Amino acid sequence: MAGEFDLWEEIQRQESKIQWLAGRHTDPVKRLRYLRKATAIKSRPKRWKTAALTMFLVLLIAPVYHATDSRRQTQPLMGREVPPPQFHQPPDQVAEVWLVERKAAYEVYSNGLRIETGNSIPHDKRSYASVSRSSGRLRTDGVQPAGIVYHTTESHITTFEEGNNARLQRVGQWLVEYVKRQRSYHYVVDRFGRVHRVVEEEYAADHAGGSMWADQDRIYLGLNHSFLGVALESQTTPGADMAEGITDAQLHATKVLTEMLRSKYGIPSGNCVTHAQVSVNARSYRIGNHTDWAANFPYQRVGLPDNYQLPLASMVFYGFGYGQEFVDATGSRMWNGLAKSEEHVRQSAAGQAISVPQYRTKLQQHFRQQMAELPESPGTGKLRTGRRTR
Amino acid sequence: MKQQEESIRTVGLDVGTSRIVTACCDGAERGFESQLNAFVRIPHAKMAESMLHKENVPFQVQRDTIVIQGNEAQRFADLFHLETNRPMTQGFLDPSEAESVPMVKKIIETMVGKRNGSRPRVCFSVPAAPLNATESLTYHEATLRQTFDELDYEVRSINEGLAVIYSELEDTNYTGIGISCGGGLCNVALAYLSMPALSFSIPKAGDFIDSSAASVTGELATRVRIAKEATFHFNGHFTDKLQQVLTVYYEDMIHALIAAMKDAFSNAKRMPKLAKPIPMVLSGGTASPQGFRDRFEKLLRASDFPIEISEIRLARDPMTATANGALVAALTEM
Repeated sequence: MAGEFDLWEEIQRQESKIQWLAGRHTDPVKRLRYLRKATAIKSRPKRWKTAALTMFLVLLIAPVYHATDSRRQTQPLMGREVPPPQFHQPPDQVAEVWLVERKAAYEVYSNGLRIETGNSIPHDKRSYASVSRSSGRLRTDGVQPAGIVYHTTESHITTFEEGNNARLQRVGQWLVEYVKRQRSYHYVVDRFGRVHRVVEEEYAADHAGGSMWADQDRIYLGLNHSFLGVALESQTTPGADMAEGITDAQLHATKVLTEMLRSKYGIPSGNCVTHAQVSVNARSYRIGNHTDWAANFPYQRVGLPDNYQLPLASMVFYGFGYGQEFVDATGSRMWNGLAKSEEHVRQSAAGQAISVPQYRTKLQQHFRQQMAELPESPGTGKLRTGRRTR
Repeated sequence: MKQQEESIRTVGLDVGTSRIVTACCDGAERGFESQLNAFVRIPHAKMAESMLHKENVPFQVQRDTIVIQGNEAQRFADLFHLETNRPMTQGFLDPSEAESVPMVKKIIETMVGKRNGSRPRVCFSVPAAPLNATESLTYHEATLRQTFDELDYEVRSINEGLAVIYSELEDTNYTGIGISCGGGLCNVALAYLSMPALSFSIPKAGDFIDSSAASVTGELATRVRIAKEATFHFNGHFTDKLQQVLTVYYEDMIHALIAAMKDAFSNAKRMPKLAKPIPMVLSGGTASPQGFRDRFEKLLRASDFPIEISEIRLARDPMTATANGALVAALTEM
């Protein structure tokens, strides 16, 4: 019974957002489709374990996010709240995309997207942890994808030319089979621009390892469960342009796939980011544990704003830093986001009259405490142990 | 072109006590068809059979009788001074009528069509459980599902009141109260942002009015229904006894419906807190007579209704709203 009351309260808390997003759909069917999804997510019954876990984690995490506030109360002369940087892009129009045809081996969408579904498989049921940025409350029952992480497969590729058709196809097929065995991504975009669904969308894929991201509302911990993984078949060379080997067909396919996923799940543009932006090593407190798409992801060509401009949650909220390896891998565009993150850390430290390293250490201590005591929760294992995954 | 031929037929189906209504998409256009959910048996004769063939009337020969179903059943019932047989009673398949399932199946098959290529996707309406009743809807829904399975349709079901909301309340993001006043039941549902919060039915609807009026006037219930559909309206001063009697029983039904809603909404334990007034939509054949909406609103406003209502509106087409909502659900979720 109490769960049902929570259900309505949860929906009502989000009502204005849901109403606004629903209002963008003029077609009654699309509007209803959105509402059914938005409210279905909120209405998933909480298991007692999840509820207990949530309460436990709220108690653990709330003080961390209010650390600055409590410090200000006890030391008023030292406190100066620094508003966090903007973790989102200006509102943009999400093209409405709908399923046109579903057959046993493929799906076709209204924007021309065709998804090969013959290799799709289930994996771990999606259920992820995220923290409300306004209340500090942690939820572990998220089930709707909140974003997209773009990867490079770093697989063996061959020259993209007509004479290599058979080999290109064979290599692409091997890749899909490998990804299927590893449950690595939800989607693979091969070099001909064919989109292969591997792990079905309602399940988690092992694509992001230790990772985190934030939007204006929530901090997402462990993106295997909360974000969809889209990998472009490619092999990059250190120091070279990462977009160099990507074909036009791949970019177009990634664009229409992104449109479909954003339309389907109401994903804000700011939550469509690269693996390098979200990947962390929780043992060394370094960002960029993986460096795929650390530079030159063609955001514009896949219909997105330049999300390299966005600050990194790992740095702003948890005091993560970066090493020379990451510096070498990143491009100038990503430095805008890094610079914003660094500036916020610097100002926050100044606001508390402590040095930047001291401030970072405090954030890291809080992170360590949380993660050490964090009960087993989907997708956050790598954050607790800091184990490198892939 | 081949793809067009193979496009999947999606149908919303209102399986009502009185009528079966289909809604389907033909490009941007929506098409509706309605058939009486009834059948009549007439004695078999070569001449009758030949005439039915000639007039393209759907019928079946069963031993020494001819069974005519759907809209034509009424015409032949009038012709032979018979009462039509009804496969459903008070919103549910009539377990005491041996022919109920085959007749419903036949009518639906005539309307939706046989599988041709892909399986048709059909979303059909089911009534809510009667208020304060412990009756199970399992038999009704399971039997219909089995029937659809035999026809090789892909199916899902939707609560009838919710279907009305899906048909009529997109402007409030599917928040409001949908009421379907049909033949056997009045179905009520409240949804908040498309999520059903409460639904129930009361077994007082068009058939109750017809049979009550028939018992007072000595007419056949079928004839009362025909007269009601043809001429009845509210706010008139009738010298005709039938019209007077119909007014009395209509008001009785409205009072019962409002009382049931007050009871249900007041005692509901799991309801969203509604920050602002919500709309109410009336639909169904029993809500169609001229003046029904005004009369309903007058009586509702006079009652101490527990939920603030912003407006009471009649569905754009009361006869097809449930089927249209079922189609919207099918297009959304199938």
